[in-house]
Amino acid sequence: MMGSSFDRRDFLKVLGWGGAAVALSGCGNTSVEDGKETVVSYSEPTDYMIPSIGVYYNSTCAQCDAGCNINGRVREGRVLKLEGNPDSAINRGKLCGLGQAGVQHHYNPDRIREPLLRSGDKGEAITWEKAYALIAEKLQGVDGEEIAFVTGGMSGHSKVLLENYLLSFGCKNHFVYEAVAPAVVRAANEKSYGVTMPRLSINKAKLVLSFGADFLGSWISPVHFSQQYGQFRKGVDGQRGILVQVESKMTLTGANADRWLVVRPGTEGVLALGLINALGTASGDAAAAAQGYDKERVSKDTGVSVEQIDKLVELLKSHTPSLVLAGSAAEGYVHGSQNAAAINLLNHVLGNVGKTIEPAASVPFPQMSPAVGGTAALTKLGEGLSAGKFKVLFNYAANPVFTAPASMKLKDELTKVGFKIAFAHYLDETALQADLVLPLDSALEDWGTSVPEYMAGDAQISVQQPLMEKLYANTRGFGDILLVLLKQRQSDNYKDYADYYAYLRGAMLQNKNALGGEGADDDTFWNHSLSSGILKAAGSSAALSGSASAAGLTLPAPAAADAQYPLHFIPGVSASHRDGRHANQPWLQESPDPLTTIVWDSWVEIHPKKAAELGIVEGDIVEVTSKSGSIKAQAYLFPGIHPDAVSVPLGQGHEAMGRYAKGIGANPFAILDAVFDKETGELAMHETRVKISKTGQRVVVVKDEGPAGGSQAGKKIAARLDANHVDLSKEA
Amino acid sequence: MSVSNLLSNWSEFRHTHPVDDVPHDPYKWAMAVDLDACTGCNACSIACYAENNLPVVGKEKYSHGHVMHWIRVERYWDEDGREFPDQGAQFLPMMCQQCEAAPCETVCPVGATNHTPDGLNSQIYNRCIGSRYCSANCPFKVRYFNWYDYPTTDDVWPAEMTQQLNPDVSVRGKGVMEKCTFCVQRLTVVKGNAKSEGRIVREGEVQTACQQACPTGAISFGNIVDPESRVHKQWQAQQVELAKDVQAKDTGEVASDLRGYRILEELRAYPSVMYLERVRELAPAKSEHHSA
Repeated sequence: MMGSSFDRRDFLKVLGWGGAAVALSGCGNTSVEDGKETVVSYSEPTDYMIPSIGVYYNSTCAQCDAGCNINGRVREGRVLKLEGNPDSAINRGKLCGLGQAGVQHHYNPDRIREPLLRSGDKGEAITWEKAYALIAEKLQGVDGEEIAFVTGGMSGHSKVLLENYLLSFGCKNHFVYEAVAPAVVRAANEKSYGVTMPRLSINKAKLVLSFGADFLGSWISPVHFSQQYGQFRKGVDGQRGILVQVESKMTLTGANADRWLVVRPGTEGVLALGLINALGTASGDAAAAAQGYDKERVSKDTGVSVEQIDKLVELLKSHTPSLVLAGSAAEGYVHGSQNAAAINLLNHVLGNVGKTIEPAASVPFPQMSPAVGGTAALTKLGEGLSAGKFKVLFNYAANPVFTAPASMKLKDELTKVGFKIAFAHYLDETALQADLVLPLDSALEDWGTSVPEYMAGDAQISVQQPLMEKLYANTRGFGDILLVLLKQRQSDNYKDYADYYAYLRGAMLQNKNALGGEGADDDTFWNHSLSSGILKAAGSSAALSGSASAAGLTLPAPAAADAQYPLHFIPGVSASHRDGRHANQPWLQESPDPLTTIVWDSWVEIHPKKAAELGIVEGDIVEVTSKSGSIKAQAYLFPGIHPDAVSVPLGQGHEAMGRYAKGIGANPFAILDAVFDKETGELAMHETRVKISKTGQRVVVVKDEGPAGGSQAGKKIAARLDANHVDLSKEA
Repeated sequence: MSVSNLLSNWSEFRHTHPVDDVPHDPYKWAMAVDLDACTGCNACSIACYAENNLPVVGKEKYSHGHVMHWIRVERYWDEDGREFPDQGAQFLPMMCQQCEAAPCETVCPVGATNHTPDGLNSQIYNRCIGSRYCSANCPFKVRYFNWYDYPTTDDVWPAEMTQQLNPDVSVRGKGVMEKCTFCVQRLTVVKGNAKSEGRIVREGEVQTACQQACPTGAISFGNIVDPESRVHKQWQAQQVELAKDVQAKDTGEVASDLRGYRILEELRAYPSVMYLERVRELAPAKSEHHSA
């Protein structure tokens, strides 16, 4: 569509009159506006609107922070399905299940449709004019320090607007809170490599040694890494890649490993130092840090046998370059930073830095680059709340009431805030605590730009555009709301922008030259931006620091057994559910967990040996109790977990949000102990200890696997071949 | 089609495809699934829900076995008595195998399931009376029955969600059987386009929804008659032949690096889906195992 004078916005306006109305009447709905059936003749068809032919528009997936570029199929004014954009360096035409479910977020019956003002326990629908007036009134005379703005990870122009808004108050309280994020690894990377998020090349590695990084499931940019993994398995220079996964609870990535090594929870760093020691090639700081970590000691501490360590060392020597990854399982401890540092050190010792770990490109607009966060923000927020510091609190793209450990009592603390405003799609746990709820457009109705935190290829800015007319008249885009709020503060600066679309277009055109639009006229450039959905920026990439410093790297002795709470508690992060924000999308509820095949519920993974010891069988409702609380869920006997650990997946246990999420399963966030990584202050997600007890109830576990469980009953169904028999690089 | 017609002309309806007098020309749709690349992520399954208007049945009906996933990912564990699964799990995407001598076709009392000239095992919803014989006779358990009228069942498709339904695919009512169609609605479009241009469908012109979504590219699909198609090349390289029930690999007389096979080959259903074996480094001896 590049070069055409076709104006996307006009098209949508036209579609609004013709297309959407036809679509709605076509499937038996009546017009939202007047309650009457609308019939529009096709005798004067709109350009690009041929009945029964789907048209594809590019946009950006908002289901997770990987920011895959998508391609939406639109027919008769309705978006039907999302595909990957083939031109994307991130996902190359592919899209995961979570991304596919984006349409169910858009068409969700439980979306909020009107601004709601608290009136006792109820929300009363109000107009936007009233809502904006109310916000202005509540902010009257409020000091910048008395405002808190909680968001999830942000980037692009909405981030720019938000920062400008906060600046207008002199407010520094932007809490970027991501409940499940590689925050400790970012900090460790910064120290080890000089950048928080280097580019990783699984496809160039001959061996990937992953310490709990679920890169095929939920870690950073899983669709991108899955593609790299496909190439890695085919082999580099005829040598097939080998994946070794070290973790205490099997993730999807672990399930795909050649070798899955179970370690005692928290001893990942010990194993890394043991490998450095056994390799014997390190010098200086690194050698000093690994001193004393001989195989026998490491084996004793980690539970990995000396033979396995020998084999791993042999593999690391024969397979170069390799790639060692520190994932969420390694970072979730009080010594998480040290674990991650030890693992990163292994990359330096193996000479992988500069080969499979390279600098990533970054966009030349620092104000648009991602604002990322973690759970440390939660602590700061909590401190401010309990001190009664905040008079007005905004919440956007986060659900802290659901995801904060119950011991932080965030729900109670929030009552100390004078006026709470939630930008929300659903009435989730946090929105329910708000005084004013502002309903947002879905990602398929809204304009936006984003910069992915993990830059897979050249520096790029991803464009998000509406794939169809808004479903509800009274939802608004986050950018549009911010613009109105900014106009309340600085009307002169923003008076030229009628809406966020105008702002976005203006801002992009201003930077046309840096975005590959040099010489193109404005309309051509803008149409190209929308039709491609991806803008390459002349990016720069900083060099990685070539040497490793292991100064100050010390690991604690393995944690002693706790008599009262003998088991480690591992909150599971699944590809579909993540931190729970998508629990109201029924495809994700009905999609079986890949490893247990369980649907529509939570479960407690427990090793069969431990279960036998405790007299627990599948389906027993067990109570998992930590110092901070307890939850109940069905037991599932799972061989891929350390016998001294149990795991419950995150994301379920909603008390609100919508019909598909409410009342399903249990929320493990609630029982996490509020202990933190010493260096970064991030919540040590894997540090909680628990005990489990039977409640006496038993249920039939609803799952996809049949009565034979994981058995093939002697048939050749899913077959496997030993790697030394085959060279995949020669295959068709 | 009356039952008497069906019975008296049985041999006409009971075809094993391809037969000499009815070769696959110009199309025979087939698939290859590389289990080495499959990670078990379920993207294929959810893409199928989106493309083919599959109902979400909810927990209770799921527990009764009423789930409608046309493509499911099966997960198997090694069965050698190890304490831990050191070689991970085995995943297998399972969908209708579009058998050339489909066991489901012969038992349908009304001919609702039958073979198309391009080699699909088709299901005619309007003809189906819900006897469920086909499902009982399917060795792969990939046929799904509408025990309820999902379009009118609460919370399956609330009014808002009906707008997502793909207009190219009919929404099935109570009492009919359904299954994977190899995204026949997409095939129909490209076949029509090709025909109007006086050619046959080219390799890469059409993808199934599962194939399109798959992040690792484990699924390939195409016209196996077309020597240019990837699926043709894969089947040929693996020496798996559509009309044979003992493949080169099974005879043990060829190189051991072949990894293509069809599931339950011995049943002589002649599936149109070839799987490629997962490849893994040899497992350590049990004695090498963890000291934990």
